Amino acid sequence: MIELTKIVKRYQEHEVLRGVSLTVDDGEVCVLLGPSGGGKSTLLRTINGLETFDSGKIRVGDVTLPATPGPERDKSLAIIRQRVGMVFQQFNLFPHRTVLQNVTEAPIHVLKQPRDVAVATARRLLERVGMLEKQDARPGSLSGGQQQRVAIARTLAMSPEAILFDEPTSALDPRTTAEVISVMTDLAAAGQRMIVVTHAMSFARTVAHQVHILHAGTIAESGPPLQIFEAPQTDITRSFLSEAAIA
Amino acid sequence: MTRAGASSSAFVSARIIARPPKQRLSRCVRQTLALACAAIQLAVVLLSTTAAADQTLDAIRQRGTLIWGADQEGGGPFVYPQSDDPTRLTGFEVELAELIAAHIGVKAQFAQGQWDKLPDVMDRGDIDIVLNGYEWTPNRAQRYGTSIPYYIYELQLLGRVGDESLTSWEDLRNPLDGRPRKVSVLGGTAAQDYIEKEGEGKIELALFDGATDAMEATELGLSSIDANLQDLPVWTFYSEGFTRLRPIGSPVGRGYYVALTRKADTDLLKAVNEAILKALQDGSLHQILSRYRMWNETQMARGLETNASGGFVGSFISGADVGEKRVDGQESSFEQTSGWRVIWQRGGLLIDAAGMTVLLSVTAMPLAVLIGLAIALSRLYGPGWLRFPAACYVELVRGTPLVLQLYLIYFLLPKLLDTMLPGSGLTINAFTAAVMGLAINYSAYEAEIYRGGIQSIPKGQMEAAVSLGMSKALALRRVIVPQATRLVLPPMTNDFIALFKDTAVCSVITVVELSKMYYIQARSAGAIVELGLLTALLYMAMSYPLSLVTNRLEKNLSQERRS
Repeated sequence: MIELTKIVKRYQEHEVLRGVSLTVDDGEVCVLLGPSGGGKSTLLRTINGLETFDSGKIRVGDVTLPATPGPERDKSLAIIRQRVGMVFQQFNLFPHRTVLQNVTEAPIHVLKQPRDVAVATARRLLERVGMLEKQDARPGSLSGGQQQRVAIARTLAMSPEAILFDEPTSALDPRTTAEVISVMTDLAAAGQRMIVVTHAMSFARTVAHQVHILHAGTIAESGPPLQIFEAPQTDITRSFLSEAAIA
Repeated sequence: MTRAGASSSAFVSARIIARPPKQRLSRCVRQTLALACAAIQLAVVLLSTTAAADQTLDAIRQRGTLIWGADQEGGGPFVYPQSDDPTRLTGFEVELAELIAAHIGVKAQFAQGQWDKLPDVMDRGDIDIVLNGYEWTPNRAQRYGTSIPYYIYELQLLGRVGDESLTSWEDLRNPLDGRPRKVSVLGGTAAQDYIEKEGEGKIELALFDGATDAMEATELGLSSIDANLQDLPVWTFYSEGFTRLRPIGSPVGRGYYVALTRKADTDLLKAVNEAILKALQDGSLHQILSRYRMWNETQMARGLETNASGGFVGSFISGADVGEKRVDGQESSFEQTSGWRVIWQRGGLLIDAAGMTVLLSVTAMPLAVLIGLAIALSRLYGPGWLRFPAACYVELVRGTPLVLQLYLIYFLLPKLLDTMLPGSGLTINAFTAAVMGLAINYSAYEAEIYRGGIQSIPKGQMEAAVSLGMSKALALRRVIVPQATRLVLPPMTNDFIALFKDTAVCSVITVVELSKMYYIQARSAGAIVELGLLTALLYMAMSYPLSLVTNRLEKNLSQERRS
């Protein structure tokens, strides 16, 4: 279980997150929707410590991540980062390593897996995302969609309890977006818990268990996709959905 | 190319020297050195000097060698590579050193040093005596043991053959067509002092770093130079190489060449005096001097008075018994060699010296890269208390000249070590000091290059790495630094090329590398152009492959970025 309690984050005077609370159960696919600048990505990045927060707390399983910097936060982060993976908008593959090395890097050097075990796992994962053929290629020679699928395999190689997707298809064209969405859908079907920040409405509608609308640093509405898309309860949700439909 | 028309530099004050040829350091480098000298003199005073009484003479006898310091770059007739065998040294001071060593009962061993640094090198304990045309001055006598004179020098005014506008000292004081006359001298020598004092402000000075350069410029009339005031022995030695120059008037400005010892080494000083005195009396000094055409009547008028510790006191008596005026053997004078012959004869020495240049570079550069990387990482990712000192290191090292750093490491560090760990016997030889200085100096630049390289790696790389559970250190090692390295390789190779050339500065701390060897050989053979081309060629041969590597790396990188 991942539990965020009253997360507050400020940039100087501006409050980006105004006491957001959120729970993601095991095996749940949670989608964060909302207008740009609503704090979706920031909220996601507080979970694995890429962003700090000013008050509140985050719990991942039995580990609590405090707001205050210090050795306790560092210790918690070390554990959380091994349990929670992340997929970025810009993929962030390591350009100086091959596709296969990108996937084996953390298992070998963080989990201390033997090389042959890590390589076997990596090949299986690359096959799962349809990238085994390119195992010896450099990231620079791949399309965006291919890079993102490798990035997903790289995250999966750590056997994460949850994966944070930070706008995974925003930098992609429609065709490659479909490749990545299909991989994510397969993962969800296999019971992978994930928290997804996205603008891909169809993914939210068809795959998500819970959808949260984040607006101006607070959660405007939470519920299953059926409720959010068919029977929105708040004006904010309604106006967001209508704007998204136009876009 | 080698003619340095240096303008007047402030620090070369009057109390320095009479004499030969000097190094080719630019004006700002000289000022820096002046600063360094001041700092070191201060340090010497502060740290000095627990040196036990005079055990040096015993040590010399035990060792079996008298180590004497001089600068071959000064050239003839002092100490210079023999023209038919440039690997061997000749010169009247070489013979004199052998004579003194023989008197003590040991062998003479030559040690090369930058001329104006020889007393510092002696203070450091690397040499026993300095024997290189050092003029006696009261200041110097206070600071060092000064032997009785082994030569009385005078200054000779030289004009151009056929220049009827200048036939006497009087002509020199009269402006020609409203323009004051210009005299070339070796900067920082007695000749400069003499013109400043006797010229009554009516004579303009042109300062040079090398005696032969000054003569050549006068011969060619460069920058409207009318005359040259030269040490007489230098003129007699080189006169055949400068047939368009002629002496004007009688020699002037008499002074003494003396050997220097450390102040405390009075037994050694007395032994040196005995040797010189004996050579005077039995005529062997006369013979040596004659071989280099240096003997003249003036040598008869010799002061020999010393104080209780054996130091020459600078007074003046005449009529010493100088023995028979007979020359046996051949006279030595300047022999110009040129063309292929000089390349053939001395090229090997230059190539050997190039080996030292390579060795310095390839030892210093990897160290510089390692230190630089550590500093860059400290500045970017280190704990707060480390960032500030790391930044200070960069600014301090980058903001001070290499020549000063070398100087401090070579001269000051041994004293510090000795003070902090007395009796540890830790010493730093010149090569180690040179490598340390180069490595430290370049590390600051490498640190900045690396910092720039690391900062240009997108933030997402570090985020991706830590999101995979890597520690910051692991992420740096596996993800950031390898990528940054590829970015910084071209500028680093560039720096490596620059380092190759900067090794030339190491000659200030007695390391003889390619440039220094070139100056020594070019001066003594008079083959400035031929050996200059060869030296340039050698530098090119060393740096061009690196340029190719840089080009290659840059090409690879741009391809990688495009894909």
